Amino acid sequence: MTTTPDQINHDLINHDLLRPVARASARFFLVVAMLGLVVLAGLSAWGYQLYSGIGVAGIRRPVFWGFYITNFVFWIGISHAGTLISAILRLANAGWRRPVTRCAEVITVFALCIGAMFPVIHLGRPWVAFWLVPYPNERGLWPNYRSPLVWDFFAINTYLIGSATFLILPIIPDFALCRDKFSGWRKTFYGVLALGWRGTQRQWHRLETAMHIMAIVIIPVAVSVHTIVSWDFAMTPVPIWHSTIFAPYFVAGAIFSGIAALIVAMVFLRHFLHLEEYLPTVCFENLGKLLLLMSLLWVYFVFAERLTIWYGNQPAEVAVLWLTQNGPYRYLFWTMVACNFLIPFPLLAIKKLRTITGIFVASITVVVGMWLERYLIIVPSLSRKFLPYAWGTYRPTWVEITITAATFAAMALLYVVFAKLVPIISIWELKVGMREESESSSSVGAVSRVRPTRSGRGEHETLAGVGFKNSQGVKL
Amino acid sequence: MSRTASLYTICPDAAVAQRTVDALLTAGARSEDITVISAEPFDRYEFGQHEESPLMPWLVVLGAILGGVVGFLLVSLTTKSYPIVTGGMPITPGWITGIITYELTMLAAILTTLLVLLLTAPLFRWRQGPYDVQVADGKILVGINPQRNLPDKVREVLKACQDRAERGPV
Amino acid sequence: MAHRWGMAVDLDRCTGCEACVIACRAENNIPTVGEEQAQKGRAIHWMRVERYYEGEFPDVRVKFQPVLCQQCDNAPCEPVCPTYASYHTNEGLNGQVYNRCIGTRYCANACPYTVRFFNFFNPAWDKPLHLQLNPDVSVRQVGIMEKCTFCVQRIKSAEIRAKEEKRELKDGEPAPACVQTCPPRALVFGDLNDPESEVSRLARSHRGVKLLGELGTQPKVTYLQRNEWNDNNT
Repeated sequence: MTTTPDQINHDLINHDLLRPVARASARFFLVVAMLGLVVLAGLSAWGYQLYSGIGVAGIRRPVFWGFYITNFVFWIGISHAGTLISAILRLANAGWRRPVTRCAEVITVFALCIGAMFPVIHLGRPWVAFWLVPYPNERGLWPNYRSPLVWDFFAINTYLIGSATFLILPIIPDFALCRDKFSGWRKTFYGVLALGWRGTQRQWHRLETAMHIMAIVIIPVAVSVHTIVSWDFAMTPVPIWHSTIFAPYFVAGAIFSGIAALIVAMVFLRHFLHLEEYLPTVCFENLGKLLLLMSLLWVYFVFAERLTIWYGNQPAEVAVLWLTQNGPYRYLFWTMVACNFLIPFPLLAIKKLRTITGIFVASITVVVGMWLERYLIIVPSLSRKFLPYAWGTYRPTWVEITITAATFAAMALLYVVFAKLVPIISIWELKVGMREESESSSSVGAVSRVRPTRSGRGEHETLAGVGFKNSQGVKL
Repeated sequence: MSRTASLYTICPDAAVAQRTVDALLTAGARSEDITVISAEPFDRYEFGQHEESPLMPWLVVLGAILGGVVGFLLVSLTTKSYPIVTGGMPITPGWITGIITYELTMLAAILTTLLVLLLTAPLFRWRQGPYDVQVADGKILVGINPQRNLPDKVREVLKACQDRAERGPV
Repeated sequence: MAHRWGMAVDLDRCTGCEACVIACRAENNIPTVGEEQAQKGRAIHWMRVERYYEGEFPDVRVKFQPVLCQQCDNAPCEPVCPTYASYHTNEGLNGQVYNRCIGTRYCANACPYTVRFFNFFNPAWDKPLHLQLNPDVSVRQVGIMEKCTFCVQRIKSAEIRAKEEKRELKDGEPAPACVQTCPPRALVFGDLNDPESEVSRLARSHRGVKLLGELGTQPKVTYLQRNEWNDNNT
């Protein structure tokens, strides 16, 4: 047993957190196969759409955007999980975020990958989608920077590169750990991925500085991404879309749905990978409280927007408002309110109900509710614009439904494969956190701790002054 | 695996490693020749602090400014070179130039951070310097860059630490 | 001086015969999407005649309103197109460049008049109907937006002819198909930059209103309201 005087059991931690990476059970392959089938179905549906024309989807005049853009906004929204948890909590030095950061950052990267596919899937001519890239060409044209879709292109790419960097940088030391602990093909595989990491103090310093810089930079990028996505709608004179509230509304909704998705992922990980000790209840409780906060914020935004529209009494906007509350969309609307607020609120606010099961149920309903919210922002407004002669309806086809289901399966598949190849909890960060906790002289139960200031050379003498003993019971 | 030959000792924890580094420095070794390798960062120990460099954030700021300039030039020059009128808007609207400039500034900051990390950490230099798999178990490696004119006292101190490590903790 | 093309629609004269709709289809190679697609709301009609009923039987009045692309000066469809497929020409038209369109359908969402149409499938004409296609107008393929262009091919050919003959364009010389066809002459087309043209006079009429003018799109189609005396008849 390898313990250090600060009582970190390296062997145990390494064993527990590398166990999922070390071997793949039959259940893993079964899950991958099932998810892979659904993803394959989605890819076939998309192939059919490419071959037959975009008309096999349910979009029509006047509802020119439907399921695909709903999915686009939904998945980009889910991608805000990683940023909030990792970056903001990293900057706030909250200790309980340590086991959670990588789970969250993975969601961000994969949700972005999936979400960024939809602007291509929904195009009428996806084979020329590359015209959005600014490059000198023979057409004598650059992209129209005045279009929010071009802003989308820049913002989503920046966020994707940023969050991929944010994810991969702290994995490098864990890849080095895998390289040292495994043998055979895994040793070579992780050896390549570790990029020659040795763990010199200079490497650690550069890595931590890079992480700190990335945490500061990624937060405004994430805010700008969903703001720009919201401006896809707000920059048009469509009733209800043309609202200044859209930018903060979407960002808040994104963080809301992102935390819910994160909780769902963490509950599955905790159960299937037996990580009960490393994802303690307090992590879920804190995330549950954040989810409650975001739920209240969501209600605030929805109320503010609807009150303003109803009070302002502009005919076109009020028509759409009644369409969602009393008209054909009312079932979806009230389901959404129930899923986003009525069900999660008691589950998260009442301490007795705020168990892991309760938080899980609340998160699932929030994910469903937020998908409905995106749908209800897009479709009712388009179906009832200004001229009554041009009003219409929307009904999705099997192509859109299959592709939507396939994205959920793709997310799960990517996540499962990632958790199999990479330790899903950041091992070195966990150890640092445990070391910091045990080195402070406060009680065992405290979880979040402010990092003590560096006082220079004599720090270890201060520790000896606290009375540390090594495993043999000898004072240092 | 061939590696730049080096002298090192394995310390069971950070306090011992700090004492070893202090002893080596007292014996006459230079700070740049000492390498400390660990599986976690030890910012609060002195041996983890003298590799710090305040330059990195400024390099990132410089990269970000460059990215911003590129973004601004991209929008203003390209829209002016092929001016196309849309919706009564000016050819290069200020707000929109700002959005694209902002995104490219952030992208440049991210890429600069990555580049500076890759180049100055440095990564990809696996064979240079000592390494021992015991580091993965939480031990700390303290090594000396072997040179011909290494003071003998340094070698003695290192040998004493190695013996002590082999004998086990005191 | 450059031209600035505009149109006036006299709602007093419109009988709702929809000859303009058919003429537009014939001139601009507009595909017929079929019954199933039309039920889904995908029928393409660059010019449409909206029909509004007022009152109860037997006191019903029907109002007809031909709606086409308003060629707005502050077009909301133009800035949102990522590839400049929708842009403003220097003659004031809202141009649609089929080759640049990648089919995001953003312009269609932004248009408050819903006058933009999308090709959900590749259009097809059963033989021998393909022989009636107008060679002056390109046929659009799947994934491309289209809309009324004020028959820009007729405008261009009139301008070229006038240039060759070294003269100015006469008022009413370029006539879009709908304007040429309208039996009661409810549609008037011409140069708004020419203060003596008929369309300029009608645009200044006290009966003139702009459709959804409060949105600030500055459309170039002026609708002449029905006169009061019409409503006293039963």
